Amino acid sequence: MRVPGSLRVAAAAARVVIFSALAAAVASGQTLQQAEQLRDQHDLMGANEVYKQLEARHPDDPAVKVSWGRAFMEHAKEEDFQSANDLFNEALKIHPNYAPALVGLALIEARNYGSKAGPIAQKALDADPKCVEAYELLARLALEDNKNEKAAEQAHKALEIDPNAVQAKAVLASMDWLADKKDSQWDPHSARGYETGGHFFFLNRRYEEAIAYYRKAIALDPKLWSAHLELGLNLMRLSQNDEALRELNLCWENGYQPVVNKNTIQLMESFPRFTTFKTNSLVLVANKKEADLLRPYFEGEIQRSIDTYEKKYKIKLTMPVRVEVYPDHEDFAVRTMGLPGLGALGVTFVGPTLGYYIAMDSPSGRPPGQFHWASTLWHEMSHVFTLSLTNSHVPRWFTEGLAVHEETAASPEWGDRLGPDEISAIKNHTLLPVADLDRGFVHPTAPTQVIVSYFQAGRICDYINNKWGWDTLLAMLHDFSANVETASVIKKELKIEPADFDKEFLAWLEADTKKQVQGFDQWRTAIKELNTANRNKDYAEVLKKGPEIRDLFPDFVEAGNAYQALAAAYDSKGDKKAETEELLRFVHAGGRDPDGIMKLGKLLVEAGRKKEAAEVLARLNDIYPEADGLHKLLGDLLFDAGNAGGAVREFKSVIAGNSIDPAQAHYDLARAYHLSHQDEQAKDELLAALEVAPGFRPAQKLLLELSGGG
Amino acid sequence: MFCLATAFAAHATTFYVTISGLGGENDYDQRFKMWADDIDGSLKKAGGDSNVVTLVAPTRDVIRTKMGEVARQAKPGDAVVLMLIGHGTFDGTEYKFNIPGPDITAAELASLMDHIPATRQCVVNMTSASGGAIAFLRKPSRVVISATKAGTEKNATVFARYWAEALRDPAADVDKNESISALEAFHFAQHKTTEFFDTQKRLATEHSVIEDTGKGEGERTPGADNGEGRLAAAFPLVRLGANATAARDPNKRPLLDQKEQLEQAIDKLKYDKISMPVDAYKKQLASLLLQLAKVQEALDKQ
Repeated sequence: MRVPGSLRVAAAAARVVIFSALAAAVASGQTLQQAEQLRDQHDLMGANEVYKQLEARHPDDPAVKVSWGRAFMEHAKEEDFQSANDLFNEALKIHPNYAPALVGLALIEARNYGSKAGPIAQKALDADPKCVEAYELLARLALEDNKNEKAAEQAHKALEIDPNAVQAKAVLASMDWLADKKDSQWDPHSARGYETGGHFFFLNRRYEEAIAYYRKAIALDPKLWSAHLELGLNLMRLSQNDEALRELNLCWENGYQPVVNKNTIQLMESFPRFTTFKTNSLVLVANKKEADLLRPYFEGEIQRSIDTYEKKYKIKLTMPVRVEVYPDHEDFAVRTMGLPGLGALGVTFVGPTLGYYIAMDSPSGRPPGQFHWASTLWHEMSHVFTLSLTNSHVPRWFTEGLAVHEETAASPEWGDRLGPDEISAIKNHTLLPVADLDRGFVHPTAPTQVIVSYFQAGRICDYINNKWGWDTLLAMLHDFSANVETASVIKKELKIEPADFDKEFLAWLEADTKKQVQGFDQWRTAIKELNTANRNKDYAEVLKKGPEIRDLFPDFVEAGNAYQALAAAYDSKGDKKAETEELLRFVHAGGRDPDGIMKLGKLLVEAGRKKEAAEVLARLNDIYPEADGLHKLLGDLLFDAGNAGGAVREFKSVIAGNSIDPAQAHYDLARAYHLSHQDEQAKDELLAALEVAPGFRPAQKLLLELSGGG
Repeated sequence: MFCLATAFAAHATTFYVTISGLGGENDYDQRFKMWADDIDGSLKKAGGDSNVVTLVAPTRDVIRTKMGEVARQAKPGDAVVLMLIGHGTFDGTEYKFNIPGPDITAAELASLMDHIPATRQCVVNMTSASGGAIAFLRKPSRVVISATKAGTEKNATVFARYWAEALRDPAADVDKNESISALEAFHFAQHKTTEFFDTQKRLATEHSVIEDTGKGEGERTPGADNGEGRLAAAFPLVRLGANATAARDPNKRPLLDQKEQLEQAIDKLKYDKISMPVDAYKKQLASLLLQLAKVQEALDKQ
């Protein structure tokens, strides 16, 4: 591969900039061995000076470039990885298929769970069949996919070449440790080996054990900053924030400054912006600016999900669940950095002794309607139960599958709909065998494979639940907790070979989605035409073609859906009844657009269907509680229906949402309190209303009534 | 301030001139006209002593003529409100409101306003770059509201949409005196505009400001600390109820006097709140509010 000249110049400039702090004189004649010795001693600045001299003296030596690239990788800033990448490519230009350079490139890929890491490592082995590091990397990648047999095979190949290969030993030992064997014959007795053990515990969501192994690594090599960083991150995941911050700062002060370190320190320093609410079973952490608004809805759903899952999973949680809600998606993203897969909406961390933690986007953290926070909460909460029940021994595909299954089990309107990516995967037969499904989460080969794997895992759990029942899913969970692999669990509980299970599942799935898959291409063309007609206000065309297009792909409820185009067409004709029915279809199909739901609520109110209106609007609390006018409208409906508790909750939310009309908001809350016979609270609210608007007559009248003067 | 506003509303005519400028594109033309019509509808619905003129894409001559008519009709005790909707430009020196034919400058708009004898004036400039016009339009006894804080905020604005909403939404009447003041409308529209950008997850490209001291640059948050907003608070834009009629009935004068004293006492108490123990404040406030409610009840019964 040719490296463009400009890139080489840029990379060289970066190297100078990055390491320019130390310009110590380096005597000529120093060797690559000396540079690597300095690198091993974590003296990266010193090593860099030697590398610079070496490269000047040996510009065509690929070994110097590769070794220097590895030093950059250890320095670990984002730009360092670019420099390392450039150096490896420069080495390959000098020596095509130079195995150490290929290994370097594969390691960069593996850092972010890239799917090219394996093929590049294999290429290194093709070039040099005795490349120990390539075998070690292949072993590591296989174990990341829970392919233990393959991992062991690759690790042993490395050990045949080098009986002291630390990473090969670490992979084999990690397999023992993950299987709860405390003493392994492959114990590497080295800091970097234990660091690898920590990585596998982290990857398997066993954070407390990960912490223990990072501590072991640091005990052997106190300057192993990468282990310090991972220790800090895993401590933070379990809310051990004081020690976490100490570790992260330690890394920073010692020049180990990957972007995750900087972002995490910034996030932790922002914690004073958050406030905490506690009950016996939950801890809710939310940004002060929206905490009061979110609190009743989050606390309600957290408690409801705990109560439901304790019955379903037949276990009692032993500690409160801590749920952190981030209005700034970038803050939430810091909590998921370094995790494989998507982690796009929520993430769960469980420590057997340190507690249960969920971090998620706030409904305000995403554009309105794009995010069903209650569905996400139930998804994450199910992880708390599956990870607790199995002591985090459940494979990724199964815990994610159950979590996806639980979303629609909580409400058929929740959960993600069948989308174009999933349809494409079904159509093109790219779904993975169940025994390999973890790979779809950890090392996806296509950008959409993670999301498709979530879908597939969820539908597998739906299928098992339908055919074998919930108790079978529970039995599988118990098997996984005893370290049984997926294939064996399928055979044991479903009495079927995994390959046959795949065939039966696919047949079921294809039958279930046949209409949508077959009609997808037709729908794709037709929906564009429908949206053009809608934009041009050609409502006759929309009304003529809309119903058929809608029914070709009823799961499509995103922007540009047929339901709302039809509703707009009915609206233009003044046909409120038809518009209402169309929007009801939209909501029942899982539609989440806040404007559409609000419109439906108002139409139902106008039609005198107040009970339905309240039910429809209550859905919006699970999607976007910030919706303009929602709480006032819902509060009025609940008040009129005599639901004092509901009205109090909704009118409190009006106030928490910084109402533009505070006097009215406090007055509404006062009358709701009065309805629930809480007259002292009602008086307080009336005073708050009248403080803003002393002449507000409805409030004056109620005050007189409550004071015995009316 | 409540009493000032009520007294003013009872005796004066308010002249409203709303102008929607050139959109440049069909979509903007429609939008600007729709907002102007919305405002026009609210003002006419409110009734009272008002004179409502709404101009859609007028030329400079038409504006001059209409403003001249207002200047001839208005008396010193009247009020005038000029509302501009559309695109504006600012080249660092001069602000121009985009209309068919030659644009009209802020300096000329100020001159047209200056010729109107009504001593209480309000200019609501809701165009892009409207912040660039503040220096020309500001004047003692004139409220200037601008959709943007500076002439450099050049994107098309949404402030007018929410200003129109403020004039018909009872929620804008924060103090529930059945009248929406210029300050209340400003707060409402500003709040909704901010919410619009937050909800859309877009960087806000407009930051509305108010200036009513005659010498400021425009404030985002008018209040006692910067002296802005006092005139606007006492400038009723739209009356929602019949609060003014009571003031004209001599039989109600004693109760109205009592009411006025109680309102002043409440205002003073609220001013002193920061220096008082919470319980004492709450107790005194409750007592005054209860007395006020009783007086209002008596007024309603008369």
